Amino acid sequence: MKTRRGTVIGLAGAGAALAAGALWRFTDVIVKHYPPTPYDDVLARLQDRAQAIRLGKAALHGLPGFTPAAAAASLRAAFGAGGLSVAATIDAVNGNLAEAGGWVLPQSVVLLSALAARVSG
Amino acid sequence: MSALIDARTLPAGTVLTPDIAVIGGGPAGISLALALADSRLDVVLLESGGLRFDPKIQNMYRGDQEGVSYVALDGGRLRYLGGSTNHWGGWCRPLDGIDFEARDWFAHSGWPFALSEIQPYFARAQALCEAGPWLYDDADGAATDQGRALPLARGGVYTSWFQFSKTRGDVLPTHFGTRYEQDLRRAAHVSPYVHANVTALALAPDAGRIDRLEARTLSGNRFTVRPHIVVLAAGAMENARLLLASNDVMAAGVGNQNDLVGRFFADHPIPRNTATLVLFDGQLPAIYGGANVTLANGAILRAALSPRPEFMRKHGVAGSLTTIEDPAALDETGTAAVITAAEALGVDARNAKAFSLGCGLELTPDPERRLTLTGERDALGLPRLKLAMRVADADFANYRLTLVELGRQLLAAKTGMLRLNLKSRQEWLAGMDWGNHHLGTTRMSADPKSGVVDADSKVHGIANLYVAGSSVFPTYGSSNPTLNLVALTLRLADHLKKVAA
Repeated sequence: MKTRRGTVIGLAGAGAALAAGALWRFTDVIVKHYPPTPYDDVLARLQDRAQAIRLGKAALHGLPGFTPAAAAASLRAAFGAGGLSVAATIDAVNGNLAEAGGWVLPQSVVLLSALAARVSG
Repeated sequence: MSALIDARTLPAGTVLTPDIAVIGGGPAGISLALALADSRLDVVLLESGGLRFDPKIQNMYRGDQEGVSYVALDGGRLRYLGGSTNHWGGWCRPLDGIDFEARDWFAHSGWPFALSEIQPYFARAQALCEAGPWLYDDADGAATDQGRALPLARGGVYTSWFQFSKTRGDVLPTHFGTRYEQDLRRAAHVSPYVHANVTALALAPDAGRIDRLEARTLSGNRFTVRPHIVVLAAGAMENARLLLASNDVMAAGVGNQNDLVGRFFADHPIPRNTATLVLFDGQLPAIYGGANVTLANGAILRAALSPRPEFMRKHGVAGSLTTIEDPAALDETGTAAVITAAEALGVDARNAKAFSLGCGLELTPDPERRLTLTGERDALGLPRLKLAMRVADADFANYRLTLVELGRQLLAAKTGMLRLNLKSRQEWLAGMDWGNHHLGTTRMSADPKSGVVDADSKVHGIANLYVAGSSVFPTYGSSNPTLNLVALTLRLADHLKKVAA
């Protein structure tokens, strides 16, 4: 009896875990999934990609010649070994700024957000 | 103690013969009369109004205007004892050294002397404005218990300071008429007249000096003043008006031989909500807030943000004073910008708060921003004024450069970030207010071809006519003018004592 109850609980737990995994992996209910792109190494720097896409949509209005490949190349060069935090700080210190929806931002942040927005469709 | 003399009670045909006649009882006229009180010079102070607002007297200020929307000509100034200090906000700040320089990127700029020329008079001017101990840009250390200045990365913008005038107790700020009426009465050699309207500066036939002043009251009285020296201290609009209207000997008006009187009018535009400031930690130091900070020593302070002289030179921008105003809400894009930027910079923005920014701007001197006479006349027969108001797009563009630099310094210090809210000319003008700081219509220059008065505030070509007040400012700075015009007037008083001696 005891063994049977344990089996049921175990199966239920496994099922719940599988369901949660499926929800996480195959739907956007828990985590938003984005289709793979050639720029995922760059986009992986974003902690909140949904917010970056919102910002990026505004940024693209001021970037008429924007191309994802060029932006990604520029960002890879800017990130170097330091990543986004260092690149954004250096941009601010050096005055490499751009506007997105009126916001004065480090150029790397604007490019990264614009890239996220463009590849999000 | 003498009384204020009501000109309506003077016997017909009265002729006054003082050493000095001061036209206008605002901050310049009152400061000048009081500064001359310790001399043996007989001074007559001629104030058009009485001791309180009278719509019939105020009506003489009405005029026409064209161009950029501006305050009605009878709306931004007051015509009774104390002048426009009867409605000023009490904001005080000395001009900066760069304000006096001829700036090669700023047409028609430059005073005929440096800031050091009026610095000796600031302490007395500060006392007359009752603005407390002199702190200004040394206030950062004095106000530490009220919060430190916002951390900004090294750069072109710094925290600057206003101080505020006060009278007694909680009455704020100093109304020069109310505050100094008794001092004027007590001054042995000063005769203050009210309801005394000067209607003409009558030149001698050789046009080299003022022979007499023709004066009238609204009740119909007429009298004459024959002073040795005349000082026009009626504000930038009325100074120009009286010079232009006194055209019986010089057809273009007194002192207007080079067509400069009334030109270069200026004010400080105060566009609202120019930018949105976000502080990542949400903590706005009280020193920047709308409620001014009062120190134990009586100084009333408010911090602002100004461009450094070296930034102004490098980027060709004008003066400005940016103030932090009200809490603001962020839209969806703004929220996204704050979250994304903060994450990128590695700062915690969970408590971030937004605030709107305001500012006072310095305008580029413009000869076509000018006052002229119209065919319409006031109750005493003086032609009314027409103002052609202009603001150059470059003035807005320049200020945006200062805001971008402030945004950069906020980001680099990981303190916060900035949104530029205004782009088109229409957007700038839609939220535009004005300081009611009338400036520049009798500008100062050593060269008669580029100024109405010389470095001593004497009208070029007229031996005994001087001008006091902010109408002589050839370049304006962004600081509020009252403290500065009082200091400049005290300097004029010293000069007049020497001349009269």
